[in-house]
Amino acid sequence: MKAFAVALLVVVTACGQGHAIFNVDVYSFMQGTGKDTIPYFIPPATPTTVSTVQKITLPPGFGSSVVDSVRITTGSANLENTGGSGTIGFQLFFASDSAGTYTAPMALNIPATSVTGTQTVPVVITGDISGVVDSLFRQETVYMRIAATGTNSGATPVTGEGVMTALIIRVVLQDKVF
Amino acid sequence: MRTGVVILGVVALALVVPRPVHAQFSLDARHIGMAGVSLGRDGSARRYNPAYRAVKNRSGGPGQARATIPIPLGLITFFQDHPPTHWGDDPMFNPDSAAFNPIELMNLVLNPPLFYELKQAPTPTNDIEFTIGKNQLILNLGKSRVLIPEQKFGLGMNGRLLDLGFGVGGVHFGVMGFMNYEIEVALDTALRRVLRDTVGVQPDSTYRILTDAVAQTGFMPTISFAHRLTHGKGAVGADSIENADDGLYIGGAVHYYLGATYARGVGPAGFTVGNPIFGAAPGVLLDARAQTSNKPFGTGVGGDVGVAWISGPFEVGFGINDLGAELTWSDTKIQRIQYDSAGDSISVTMTANHVETKTKLPISYLANAAIRMGTGTTVGGDVFNAGRHTVIHVGVEQRWGPFALRGGVARDQRKKMQFGFGAGIRMGSFGLDAGVFTHSNSLGDTRAMTLATSISVY
Repeated sequence: MKAFAVALLVVVTACGQGHAIFNVDVYSFMQGTGKDTIPYFIPPATPTTVSTVQKITLPPGFGSSVVDSVRITTGSANLENTGGSGTIGFQLFFASDSAGTYTAPMALNIPATSVTGTQTVPVVITGDISGVVDSLFRQETVYMRIAATGTNSGATPVTGEGVMTALIIRVVLQDKVF
Repeated sequence: MRTGVVILGVVALALVVPRPVHAQFSLDARHIGMAGVSLGRDGSARRYNPAYRAVKNRSGGPGQARATIPIPLGLITFFQDHPPTHWGDDPMFNPDSAAFNPIELMNLVLNPPLFYELKQAPTPTNDIEFTIGKNQLILNLGKSRVLIPEQKFGLGMNGRLLDLGFGVGGVHFGVMGFMNYEIEVALDTALRRVLRDTVGVQPDSTYRILTDAVAQTGFMPTISFAHRLTHGKGAVGADSIENADDGLYIGGAVHYYLGATYARGVGPAGFTVGNPIFGAAPGVLLDARAQTSNKPFGTGVGGDVGVAWISGPFEVGFGINDLGAELTWSDTKIQRIQYDSAGDSISVTMTANHVETKTKLPISYLANAAIRMGTGTTVGGDVFNAGRHTVIHVGVEQRWGPFALRGGVARDQRKKMQFGFGAGIRMGSFGLDAGVFTHSNSLGDTRAMTLATSISVY
């Protein structure tokens, strides 16, 4: 993989001054692995957080580059609620290792969405995460944790699952690969 | 430190690269104004056609300068924009700078800034976009797609860098330097479409690039003989039959090649992807062979032959060079360069050492013709091939007393039409000439236009 990534770097270098832009379809790597689904079970009056962690591999050699921006340009999930009434919000965390995502500052917060009974509620997940995670995206490996935080103000548990349907991260670098 | 390495590299490349574009890149504004054609009997004619050693120089005559001194207007602009004292911080030379652009640097090498650039070829500066998914890989090179060749891409040069010696009668003893490099790169159709047409990489596919590169240099002690076989009746401007150039000339030269060093690399490279594309790490394909000389003095023998015929205002010449030039390198090492998928690394293994290998120099030829009319008009052309694409120049010069107007067209190594025009004025023993020419010496498809100026000494 390293050699292939280096070949990509050669292309970037050979193509002169400019930006290297990576549109990474993170969802495509999550799809079908189970990591695209976050089951939730929220007892009454007990806020609960459940998470899924995904590794993102980026081309090496951009350690000296300047990260212009990191944005989630396309992102969506379905809240497939199967019972109860409450709210579900999403938070995204990034770190250089899996464990670090549990202590990292929040990069993106998607406000809570209300769910009730048996229904599917779409949620849009987009936003600019520059600044919080710039240095991470100069590395070869970044871990992303998607946390679903739920509240339950009712008398019965809120159950269901958050199913990711799209997630594309756009990283814009001023390429300095020497 | 790295800046120094870059500058050193630029200087080294500058010594090497301009030679293949010699026909387009001349220091004489008169040649440039005629799109590269030379109507005089300058050093190039003698270097590539030994028969011209028996032809008298017409120096001092109309349009035949003894020497040419270029006026480097381009250097003034260049050093204003890039003061040497700031090269360490100059994005042009400093790889640490975010604005450093290797294409711009390469274009500088290909176009030494001696003359004034009326229109510079644009340097690709744009965003390169990669779309990466588990089953998706799309490379959008933007404007830089023009750098991807549509067909097999080759760079080559077979040049004679110096010609020193002396003559006794028709025999000439001398030494020439030679430099030859050939780089051929072929992308398979699938890879070309990925890079040039922004077509996505397909699952279960292989993408290849095939490279064959050789470089060799050295010098060659030479003995040549040239003789005037027949004498004609006279020539325009000649004051007597004895002083006329008319006649048939033949020449031949034998070279003993002494190669200083050589290197050759041959091999396919590429990558293969599975289904889905990033289901597993793409496989890297690399299995190349490298040959390098351990010691100098690869030896060989070759020769040139040439003929020239002058009749009144007409003149034609034809020379063939490096016939049978094969160099034997007695001490060579051969290495195999492979990609090791297990270690995700490149391994270099010695296949053979201290073995004999051979290289060839490509046969080159120069054909030239000119007609000098009594009305002050001279028309000429040449065809030059140094083992790669043929370069053709056609030019005309019209003189009215001290004034001259020039124009010409050329087909360059990239098979592109180029144009030149210019003018000059002669004042006694000196002349001032200016020539404008188009060229495609930059990486990219856009033509540039350069103004050359020079002083001629008659």
